[in-house]
Amino acid sequence: MDAAQALGCCVSGLLSQRGSRLLRCGALAAVVAAGQASAETHFLIVEGLGGTQSYAERFRGQVTEMLSALREMAGRDELVHVLAGTEATAERIESTFGHLAASVAPGDELAVVLVGHGSHDGSAYKLNIPGPDITDHQLKAWLDAVPSARQLVVSTTSSSGGALETLKSPQRVVITATKNGRERTATVFGDYWAEAFSDSAADTDKNESISALEAFRFAESKVEAYFKDSKRLATEHPQLQGERADSFLLARIGDAAQMAEDPAKRSLLLQREELERQIAELTTRKESIPQDEYLEALQTILLKLAELQQRIDQGGEIAEEE
Amino acid sequence: MRLGRGRLAALVALVALAAAPSILGQRGQERGVRPAELQPCDAQHDRGEIAAASQCYQGILRVGGPAMQAEAQWMLGDLKAANDSFREAVRLEPENPDLRVRWGYLYIDSHQDHEAQALFQEALEIDDEHVPARLGMARVFAGRFEGKAMEAVQETLKERPRQAEGHLLLARMALEEGNLSQARKSLEAALRESLELGIAPLESYALLASLEMLEGNRDNEWVDKALEYNPRYGEVYAEQAHFYVITRRYREATERLRRAVRIKPTLWRAHAELGVNLMREGYDEEGSRHLQIAYEGDPYSAKTVNTLRLLDTYDQFETFTSGAADSLDEPAVILRLDREEAELLRPYVLELTERAINVFSRKYGFELKRPVRVELYPNHDDFAVRTMAMPGIGLLGVTFGYVVAMDSPSGRPPGEFHWGTTLWHELAHVFTLESTDHLVPRWYSEGISMYEEWMADPRWGETATPEFIDAVVKDALLPVSELDRGFIRPRYPGQVAVSYMQAGYICRYIAETWGERKLVELLEGFAANELTESNIRAVLGVDPEDFDKRFNEYLRASLGPALDGIPRWRRNLRRALEAAREEDWEAVFAPARDAKEAYPQHVGAGCSYALLATAHEESGDRDAAIKELQEYERLGGRRPDTLAKLGRWLEEAGRDAEAAYTYEGLLYNWPQDEETHSRLGEIYLEAGKGREALREFEAVLALDTLDRAAAEYAAARAWVKIGDLAKARLHVLQALERAPTFRPALQLLMQVKQ
Repeated sequence: MDAAQALGCCVSGLLSQRGSRLLRCGALAAVVAAGQASAETHFLIVEGLGGTQSYAERFRGQVTEMLSALREMAGRDELVHVLAGTEATAERIESTFGHLAASVAPGDELAVVLVGHGSHDGSAYKLNIPGPDITDHQLKAWLDAVPSARQLVVSTTSSSGGALETLKSPQRVVITATKNGRERTATVFGDYWAEAFSDSAADTDKNESISALEAFRFAESKVEAYFKDSKRLATEHPQLQGERADSFLLARIGDAAQMAEDPAKRSLLLQREELERQIAELTTRKESIPQDEYLEALQTILLKLAELQQRIDQGGEIAEEE
Repeated sequence: MRLGRGRLAALVALVALAAAPSILGQRGQERGVRPAELQPCDAQHDRGEIAAASQCYQGILRVGGPAMQAEAQWMLGDLKAANDSFREAVRLEPENPDLRVRWGYLYIDSHQDHEAQALFQEALEIDDEHVPARLGMARVFAGRFEGKAMEAVQETLKERPRQAEGHLLLARMALEEGNLSQARKSLEAALRESLELGIAPLESYALLASLEMLEGNRDNEWVDKALEYNPRYGEVYAEQAHFYVITRRYREATERLRRAVRIKPTLWRAHAELGVNLMREGYDEEGSRHLQIAYEGDPYSAKTVNTLRLLDTYDQFETFTSGAADSLDEPAVILRLDREEAELLRPYVLELTERAINVFSRKYGFELKRPVRVELYPNHDDFAVRTMAMPGIGLLGVTFGYVVAMDSPSGRPPGEFHWGTTLWHELAHVFTLESTDHLVPRWYSEGISMYEEWMADPRWGETATPEFIDAVVKDALLPVSELDRGFIRPRYPGQVAVSYMQAGYICRYIAETWGERKLVELLEGFAANELTESNIRAVLGVDPEDFDKRFNEYLRASLGPALDGIPRWRRNLRRALEAAREEDWEAVFAPARDAKEAYPQHVGAGCSYALLATAHEESGDRDAAIKELQEYERLGGRRPDTLAKLGRWLEEAGRDAEAAYTYEGLLYNWPQDEETHSRLGEIYLEAGKGREALREFEAVLALDTLDRAAAEYAAARAWVKIGDLAKARLHVLQALERAPTFRPALQLLMQVKQ
């Protein structure tokens, strides 16, 4: 069985993702509007060499776990690309990026996840793959060629922090397992990053979806606990570079998807987003308001939100009336 | 001056001036031959005529060669120059073993025993029968409380019976072990030899003063003789203080040390010891002052440097009080916890401390006179600094009367350290020490503490290790009357741990045979200054020899099959582990059961119980798996992941009360686990125990959980259960502030809104 079969997909599509970013309420990054519903997120996962059977199995497990979540998250099969095992060669990676450069629309988003072992030779970060390794400089060139509005690049490998500087870009969020190229020990970050895709504990804003920021914070805290509990010197320090990582949604863990697809609930969802915006605005003024007054104001908005949520959960009929 | 923040310092190099000259600078022939020209200066120094002695040594500096200069510089307090001169002297006379021995003593004087040992070894390589080098080596061993010190000294005495040094070393070790009759014999010989060989008898006087002090006569004739010989000989009091510290009588040690520094303000090690001792009693400020003085005079002492650094870390700690604080009386308990973990640990540590005080006050009929102060250190090195003056290594906690210092649970990996049983152990010491005015022998205090751990909870305390069983089989246990020796100067690796266990079993034997009341009566006997032999005879009505015999029979019966089962256990456990590695679960059962039968007390890593539980689970028999792990738990199994698994299995089986028992046990073992608190909180909530549930959810919040909204929501539910809707509202609003669409929290807000 080749890697593509083993993973259940390769460069094949998943479910439709159109409109799935309705629920990114954590930072109120997206306001639902019909015109924006056409923006899409494209995913590429590259699984490098394991080196040993145990690492190979771990990396495969991480990819499988992420894919399972992405299948539910994305809308169409062709939006998810996976290169693993013998297929994860520099040539195939380059050609996949070429395909993305041609197919990604300017308003779309691109998320790339690199899994495996990495290294840094003092001048370049390298992902260990069959054949010649790819470098951060190659990766930058390929990413730059994709005309997406925003990009997310995640490398869970050792030495991945060595790519931070190279990959830096105003429209790009970069997440790495290590703080620099000198942290060369095989990482545990990838295990926890993948775990975040299905663990409700990662959903800290309780909106039933996992953003890149939430997945990062979840994995980061797990890595820290791992080294603290085992009384070992931490050999990796995860990094997040760039703005608005909360707006990249990676997994959905509740019934948010169905809700987003339901036109009857759309106006209620819009109202809910407005209330969330008001809460966000209120919290920015928290320090300047007496506590009782702040709590009262917060409660007032939240009660409206609670009522609205009940309507949404009941099916949106009331919304239609309104 | 306060030192910069840091951790345990490495020993300091010889780089500064003005360390105190020590008596080790003298005693020529037995601590390495010294030039005869120094003798007139030494005589003045020994008599306390410091100004004259200094002038005399200054004169030597101008005329002597490097070896003589080194000695004079040393006596003048310039250790760096002395070090340089010794280096030069050794370069000029590389085959002279005495020079290396003298140099070695300089290193001992600057607290660098390792370097000293290397120099003594070099001297022995030049002359393997060199008595001063062998005595120097023995001194290093004795300073580390190593058993081989005694043997090393005795060999030198065979070769050179006419000496004072060997007798002094033997006397010191005997005093440290509490063997007063042997100490007296050695000191009589040391004094005789000192006087006949023309050596100042000050050290003999100081040790004789300590001996009589340990016999109950503190201000004795030997103190007078020493001060008559040298009115500035503060060492006589410092020596007495050392033996008070050894026997854990810190208050008395403090009194002696105050006298020492009063008559000899430049006795820096006494200032250091006084500083440390004052801290043991909880007087940090005054302790700090003496440590500063010590540091300024002797910057080479790691003890001083490390303790000052520890003091610098205290601003990272928070202090909490409890008990009678509300009634404006003194609080019963004072906690000092690291700020980072104070919120998490405070309720558990406070509750356990108060519980222990109640239990022990009743049982031992002793009311505490001062608040108990409990300090938990997340950094083991910080805790180690607190214990430096104690013999023995690998300690988890230590009690200085009313002050308990110990590792924090976060100071060690999960499962390695059970803070609950450790704190209980230490708090038992508070009572055994304070109710006897610290006269209780070490073995008995440790024995009671071990016994009380077993009594507190079947899951607590230590289980018999293979090393202990081996010691029983080989009749390597010490007689009860000599058991203190096993703590102070072990003769074989692991003897300290064996002695702890033996002491615990002795107390258990007494309680089971004569009743617990006899444990209290023995304590009362020790408070009246009874020795172990007479106390056992009076309270239990048996001769110590007879007691040892009967205890041995009891112990062998208690250990059961493990007594001859260790080889069988090893063999079968290996087979079971191999089968488990291959995931051949059917093949695990027989050898694991056999191993369990051979040594049922073993609940350490890779134990039969865990293997059998996994084999049962893999075979689809969850009930049997639970049964195995419950047995593991009951016998003191402590792996947090294994116990957490047991808790989950019990929950899945609908056995919530049993799951709560397991999770509650885990709190005293590894309180850092968020999931344990969370699950326990939910069980409590389900059972209607709002307060208990709240404590657990607050622990989750204190752990700085990533999922703070969920924890705030859980706390809100607990407040609803308690009936305080205002607090519930506050928590639910805090949950929703972070996660506005958190539906269960929104629903709860509808209930508790104002």
